[in-house]
Amino acid sequence: MTEIYPTIAQCAVVATAFKILLFPAYKSTDFEVHRNWLAITHSLPVWEWYYEKTSEWTLDYPPFFAYFEWLLSQVAKLVDPFMLRVYNLEYDSWQTVYFQRFTVIVTELALVYALQMAVDGISRFIDAHHGVPKRAAQAAALSIFLSPGLLIIDHIHFQYNGCMYGILIASLVLAKQKSGLLTSGLVFASLLCMKHIYAYLAPAYVVYLLRAYCLSPKSILRIQFLNCVKLGAGILGILGAAFGPFAVKGQIPQILSRLFPFSRGLCHAYWAPNVWALYSFMDRALISAAPRLGLPVKEEALNSVTRGLVGDTSFAVLPEITPRLCFALTLLFQAIPLVKLFLKPTWDAFIGAVTLCGYASFLFGWHVHEKAILLVIIPFSLIALKDRRHLSAFRPLAVAGHVSLFPLLFTPAEFPIKTVYTIFWLILFLTVFDRLAPPSNRQRFFLFDRFSILYIAVSIPLMAYCSLIHQMVFGKRYEFLPLMFMSSYSAIGVVGSWLGFMVVYFTS
Amino acid sequence: MSSPSPAHKPRRKSKKPGVTFDASTKPGPLIRTPSFPLAAFLWPARSSLSPWEVVPLILMVVGLFRWAAGLWGYSGFQKPPMFGDYEAQRHWMEITTQLPISQWYFHDLEWWGLDYPPLTAYHSWLLGKIGALIDPSWFTLYTSRGSDDPTLKIFMRATVIISEYLIYIPAAVVFVRRYSRLFGVAQWTSWVALVAILLQPSTILIDHIHFQYNTVMLGFVLASMSSMTAGRYMWASIFFVAALGFKQMALYYAPAVFAYLLGSCIFPRINIGRFVVIAGVTAVSFAVLILPLVIGALYDAKRGIDSRPDLDGPRPPLPIFPQLESYLNTEAVYYPVVVQLVQMVHRVFPFARGLFEDKVANFWCAANVVFKLKKYPAALLQRASLVATLASFAPANLILFLRPNKELLPYAFATTAWSFFLFSYQVHEKSVLLPLLPMTVLLAGKQGLGKDVRAWVGFANILGAWTMFPLLQRVDLRVPYAVLTLLWAYLLGLPPTSLSAYFQEGQSPWVQWGTALVHGAFYVAMGLWHVLELFVAAPLDKPDLWVVANVGVGAVGFALCYAWCLWRLTDESGILRWGSVKSSKKTQ
Repeated sequence: MTEIYPTIAQCAVVATAFKILLFPAYKSTDFEVHRNWLAITHSLPVWEWYYEKTSEWTLDYPPFFAYFEWLLSQVAKLVDPFMLRVYNLEYDSWQTVYFQRFTVIVTELALVYALQMAVDGISRFIDAHHGVPKRAAQAAALSIFLSPGLLIIDHIHFQYNGCMYGILIASLVLAKQKSGLLTSGLVFASLLCMKHIYAYLAPAYVVYLLRAYCLSPKSILRIQFLNCVKLGAGILGILGAAFGPFAVKGQIPQILSRLFPFSRGLCHAYWAPNVWALYSFMDRALISAAPRLGLPVKEEALNSVTRGLVGDTSFAVLPEITPRLCFALTLLFQAIPLVKLFLKPTWDAFIGAVTLCGYASFLFGWHVHEKAILLVIIPFSLIALKDRRHLSAFRPLAVAGHVSLFPLLFTPAEFPIKTVYTIFWLILFLTVFDRLAPPSNRQRFFLFDRFSILYIAVSIPLMAYCSLIHQMVFGKRYEFLPLMFMSSYSAIGVVGSWLGFMVVYFTS
Repeated sequence: MSSPSPAHKPRRKSKKPGVTFDASTKPGPLIRTPSFPLAAFLWPARSSLSPWEVVPLILMVVGLFRWAAGLWGYSGFQKPPMFGDYEAQRHWMEITTQLPISQWYFHDLEWWGLDYPPLTAYHSWLLGKIGALIDPSWFTLYTSRGSDDPTLKIFMRATVIISEYLIYIPAAVVFVRRYSRLFGVAQWTSWVALVAILLQPSTILIDHIHFQYNTVMLGFVLASMSSMTAGRYMWASIFFVAALGFKQMALYYAPAVFAYLLGSCIFPRINIGRFVVIAGVTAVSFAVLILPLVIGALYDAKRGIDSRPDLDGPRPPLPIFPQLESYLNTEAVYYPVVVQLVQMVHRVFPFARGLFEDKVANFWCAANVVFKLKKYPAALLQRASLVATLASFAPANLILFLRPNKELLPYAFATTAWSFFLFSYQVHEKSVLLPLLPMTVLLAGKQGLGKDVRAWVGFANILGAWTMFPLLQRVDLRVPYAVLTLLWAYLLGLPPTSLSAYFQEGQSPWVQWGTALVHGAFYVAMGLWHVLELFVAAPLDKPDLWVVANVGVGAVGFALCYAWCLWRLTDESGILRWGSVKSSKKTQ
């Protein structure tokens, strides 16, 4: 089998060099969050991990992530023991920065490994077609590995997504073979015990494993009991390993209250580009129109969204949104694709369903963070090159999803990095994808292609306006305006690509 | 052409994607794998014919590396009393925007007085004006000294990148294109060379991390070389004057420029017209260069602004050329101009300083370890330095003069710059950028990505970066040094990451083994030195031991690079094969 160049390992070397150069870059409070967790897991007994609250950044990830931090802290104590003191708030000696940043790079090797697995898996499958599918798989893998999303969130802003998305991809790839289904499910269960945001994708797993592993492929009425027992026991074992020690001490309610803080508002500090961002935008637009239309305007809401964009959003004209409604909408839009997955449990449909579950939770979820867009982009990347129709649904998502991450970095020194890197990635991979995606055997939607071209074209003047022109014209006034434009623009892209992909999913 | 390296075979793959695999299974001499990682990165671009698709992406990537490198500290960050090069550049923006032009070369010389030629001053003026629009406090007179405002740092970093993208990068793109076409090198191969040139570690380390504007000067030099390659002698002269006008260090190339331009007016046949044009354009460019200074001096004199308001009493004598005063009327209208220009020359060429200042990896510094040179009178040393420099650059320039072929330009430029670096007066460790540039552009030439050239260019660059390590580690830049140098070595398949650049087919085993062993010894020495420097403190009575060792190894290595460039120049010029090659040369 001929190697395809550049290899993932080669890219990893160069990307690592770049990421090391970014060590002194801006880091968000998440850096302190993770330092605090290192300190908590290292210096406190297990039973106090979920009760400790010296820092406001309490441990709010599931136990496997806490164990992961404990492992890291074993190395950290050799580097700089002072970072492991719980009271040492905001501690960031250069050793601490180097160490924490370096752990992100090292743990990202999980992603490298998983992507290599994905590419090798493809080549083992499709030997008949030769080069093209493998090249497409390699391009998709590199696009994930070099994703500006991961660069911005992990290596500048600071988080460990690379490692966890690596585990997710490993699990998705394992599901491709019949023999890998059990492992896939168990790997995903472990991932859930590391970061619970992946629960949004769980419905697709449940349906797929149920249909493809627990029920007979011939008939849904024949249950494969042995498989059910294996899967059930495995999942229980993993849950036991994660939560067992805490359950013994009766700490589960406390952990759950940490993991699911329901007191937060509908929109996060910045507006994630979802349906609610469009809803807020409409609400703002209606404020000026309301007197003419004779609609009542709630006075107390007028000053909330326009200013800080922080905390609870309340709407002036449109009705309030409740968490219950968000939950119901999310479930509804997750359920629709799952029906098809249940009827036709192929791997492609599974990945499509995972992607659509990600979409639904991102678009309709309560208190969605813009970082969650990776939950959609990364699974989608695995099938974006299936044919041109998939690609045309992927394109606006790639643009919107990455552009919507820009507000995460607001310091001028990082501005060129986030913009140039994202533009580089978009040009490179959208051109490469365009060449590699095979034509579809079905009719393309004329309008959708036009929409996606127009959409991408708009991004350039919009970015220029938001990053430069607005400041020059208005200075510090109307600061919310660029943010609102960006998030509405991105929301249109995400919603558009969601609709487009829904159609592709149901017609292929 | 004997078996070219695989990197020279790009066009073959430009087929429809579906059939490529059939081709790869065909037996034969086709090597279908990139021979070093950088070629692998551009591998998918082989079928791409348009530079408009590839070059912008290349420029974005090298820009990202530059900006990311710039996040690290600069020289003299929070290091009073004098801070460093960053402060010097900022200070020049301050004085050029705040003072009348006639005081630029006179103002408070103890605090980073302006000692670069006028184009730097104009450049600083422009940047200072732009910066003052953002925040005037960055450049207020006196109070802004040693400023470490983080936004100012971003502004300054941005000015380096923008200046580079306006001058150096276009010059490099055009030069690589023209120079590679001379040898019929394929477009794809020239892109690989372009990335290698633009990611050269020492340039990024000095300009974007340590902080200077060398790429502006180097860009003008490249533009000049590129114009020479295209046969545009007028533009070559203008660009070279601009390079000299930006940084006097461009003089390192001056003999080669002179030899080439003069040679091309005489050989193969005498061309008086060309000579007149070159001479005239050069004179006019110099005049334009100093014109603002002249007009400023006259205008300020008319307004009654003294160039040295801090001095009372009679006018001080001229700092150099005092004999001029007896010939000229010191009360005449033109006299302020004379004072201005003499002062400028005096500032730009510090004749009064010693043979060397810091520890530099050149001949004098290395020789000083063995014989204490300080016991000799300064005048003798100056003369020795002059003779040595002249003697070392003479052969190369004689060849270039007799055989003014554009193919030889980088070799001649590199050899001449190496002579200056090794033997001239008042050399700075940063000056190694000058010989490195023409040597590195060899990658775009004939067999440029073949093993031999790659091994030597790589050796010079890695050694060059290594000799700058003492300078960089003073401000804690070990990490970017290691990252950028190792990355470049990795991309080009060089030690310490790979041995793939050695044992070129077709060379005699003596040369193959000789190169590999000599280079190997240097790489081992460099690695060992880093280990020692990191873990072993220098003995108390010899605190500079590591630096001296660095200088000694560096000087020997650079002398080898000089010898290699000179040998290649001689070989390529065919001057030693006088009789046999003469006829074929004529037809060129």
